[in-house]
Amino acid sequence: MVTTLPKQTGNYDMKPKKFIVWLFVVSSTIMFGGWTSYYLVFSGSKGKGHGLVLPDVFIYSTLVLVASSICLFLASRAQRKSTALQKRYLGLTFILGIVFAYMQFSAWSQMSLGGAYFINNNAGISMIYVFTFFHCLHIIAGLCLIASAFFGAGKVTAERNAYRMEIASIFWHFIDILWIYLYVFLLLNR
Amino acid sequence: MSTIAIHDTHHDHHDHGHHKETFLTKYIFSQDHKMIAKQFLITGIIMAVIAMGLSILFRIQLAWPDKSFPFLETFLGKWAEGGRIKPDFYLALVTIHGTIMVFFVLTAGLSGTFSNLLIPLQVGARDMASPFLNMLSYWFFFMACVIMMGSFFVQTGPASAGWTVYPPLSALPKAVTGSGFGMTLWLISMVLFVASSLMGGINYVSTILNMRTKGMDLWKMPLPIWAFFLTAILGILSFPVLVAGVVLLVFDRSFGTSFYLSDIVFGTQILPNEGGSPILWQHLFWFLGHPEVYIVIMPALGISSEVISVNARKPIFGYHAMVYSLIGITVLSFIVWGHHMFVTGMNPLLGGVFMITTLIIAVPSAVKTFNYLATLWRGNIRFTPAMLFAIGLVSFFISGGLTGIFLGNASLDINLHDTYFVVAHFHLVMGSAAIFGMLAGVYHWYPKMFGRMMNAKLGYLHFWLTFISAYLVFFPLHFLGLDGVPRRYYVFTEFEFMRKWLTVNTFVTWAAILGALAQVAFLWNFFYSIFKGKRAPQNPWEANTLEWTTPVEHLHGNWPGEIPTVYRWPYDYSKPGHDEDFIPQTIPFSQTMSSNLPHDFEGNEEAERIQREWDAQNPPAEQRTPQH
Repeated sequence: MVTTLPKQTGNYDMKPKKFIVWLFVVSSTIMFGGWTSYYLVFSGSKGKGHGLVLPDVFIYSTLVLVASSICLFLASRAQRKSTALQKRYLGLTFILGIVFAYMQFSAWSQMSLGGAYFINNNAGISMIYVFTFFHCLHIIAGLCLIASAFFGAGKVTAERNAYRMEIASIFWHFIDILWIYLYVFLLLNR
Repeated sequence: MSTIAIHDTHHDHHDHGHHKETFLTKYIFSQDHKMIAKQFLITGIIMAVIAMGLSILFRIQLAWPDKSFPFLETFLGKWAEGGRIKPDFYLALVTIHGTIMVFFVLTAGLSGTFSNLLIPLQVGARDMASPFLNMLSYWFFFMACVIMMGSFFVQTGPASAGWTVYPPLSALPKAVTGSGFGMTLWLISMVLFVASSLMGGINYVSTILNMRTKGMDLWKMPLPIWAFFLTAILGILSFPVLVAGVVLLVFDRSFGTSFYLSDIVFGTQILPNEGGSPILWQHLFWFLGHPEVYIVIMPALGISSEVISVNARKPIFGYHAMVYSLIGITVLSFIVWGHHMFVTGMNPLLGGVFMITTLIIAVPSAVKTFNYLATLWRGNIRFTPAMLFAIGLVSFFISGGLTGIFLGNASLDINLHDTYFVVAHFHLVMGSAAIFGMLAGVYHWYPKMFGRMMNAKLGYLHFWLTFISAYLVFFPLHFLGLDGVPRRYYVFTEFEFMRKWLTVNTFVTWAAILGALAQVAFLWNFFYSIFKGKRAPQNPWEANTLEWTTPVEHLHGNWPGEIPTVYRWPYDYSKPGHDEDFIPQTIPFSQTMSSNLPHDFEGNEEAERIQREWDAQNPPAEQRTPQH
């Protein structure tokens, strides 16, 4: 009986937990869906949105985030061949993630300097801050996952390593796409 | 993590060693789904008793608005100076009663208990997908309960903007006393609660989709599992929207943004907020709020399907129709939220659309109702307490559902909105019905949870008193509503046209007190039986589902040895040709040759051929009798 167990545990452990991450992605999407639909109804009824020219930093931060996603993809590809390469790409992803978060904050300071504060009688402008703030919270969570994959690489079993990489990839690519969605949304709904 | 859990099982089983289980890991920070279910249930029961107590307090105010009750002052201090409940506190009572009942009892208490208990047991899994997340889910729920109750110990009192916390009452801390710190606590509590629900729901869905035992395809799942599955999906898709709304509300309250606020004059002071709209909160709230009522009722419906089928000793009528109607309700529940907002100045065309979608929900609901009745029809009914409560659910679902058809009509709703008619409607259809489903589940699965039986006689007493008093409380309220008596009003003596309803209110309050006292029978039965109840046999109700194949004594991992394989659907009751009136899901068709039917084999030609050969050799009894 006990001999059959290891076979059972392989499936038992990873697949359902990976699915949990997908479900989290769904519920998180819905939360941002709630905010964007608020924004649409709000701007629809007022006949205007945030009305700002968005800071250029957003373009660069978007590029940085896409680059980090590519790095993570390369790290996933490297995991079977070389741990060192995998770690190098993971480290790069991590650093690019932090750069992204920093750029978002600098976008906030640019907006504030231009008079577009968070506390604003135009809820559309406040909403830009809400979008970016909560997206950054996701970035922090994603950085934790990438850190866990980074420190696990080479130490944990190959199966566990693959699992951590997959979890980190699902989540990180999701927040990448989420940001692109939010940015395009804000560009289109001025 | 789960790897360890599985090995534990085998150690426990073989050497009877509880080497790693301490009090803390077994009862407090347990990761065993059965213990977490019990934690949810007992917390839910405590919250239900508290919320019921709150309702008795405000019912006393409604029945005897001019009378002084010194004991109220003893208990409530300045909130009931002179023995009369103050208006502010009355509103807080109504708010917290609603919040606790909807979220803490009928969402967490119901889904949390039975999803946790039954999903692994009925689909044949050792535990949840993530036992750790499951434990977190309970502790977030517990913290939410503590914070919500903590608001009673705040000087300004608990939140009092209604359980829907509409701004601006909820968004301006100075609006009424209940908008102060109590409201902040309400919001914190709800954020924790939503986190708990999401962790639970995500876990349920992942477990059901990934961890079913061999042979358990989706169409062999018992109906409670279908209900919990769809409920969890509803939660995953709707609770995040509430979070989105609550976050904006917190920013409005504490940071000065204008998401929901505009043009507010406060005494002589004009507030700076501009541009927001409180209606937007209503949209975000009800986008959760309406699915929420199905999150409340669907698990109860699933539980009743199982209990009714087991105790009618008949297959559930229309198994597939039951599932499709649950799916229908799930989908429709996302596109009806506007019916809560007919009188917010909504475009009549949009109102019409919401009206049509709302009324369409009557179809799947009716399918379920008729299927319950058809299952009962000519059944070999065993009136266990669980069965009575399940039938009670059907009764409330019908009587409360019918008034839903009134309220779903925009033109009628304009009259009835915010009157006692609405109160009567939802207390029957989602309040009483869901509570009865929950109680049916408690009576039915108590032997599985605690290894002992509840006392049936006390169960009958509990059922009849609760059933009768629930109707006596809520039925008369329809007539108040039809007469235009508004909800949430503090006294009925201030308005000439409402005076005549005072006697009815007194009657309703007495009925509510009777209903509350009836719960003593339940509470005694529940807690006494944990320790002193009769020991439960392996399969006390002679049911087919997998949970009754586990040993009475709990073990982490549920089944000693391998998880059983499933061969048939869970509703083979009173199958003609079989010597017993139930065939558990784990019995293969090869052992029931006398009762197999062609459609049992789902087109497997080899199995059909074997069955035909067997049938040819063993002609049915009635053909053989003439020989004697």
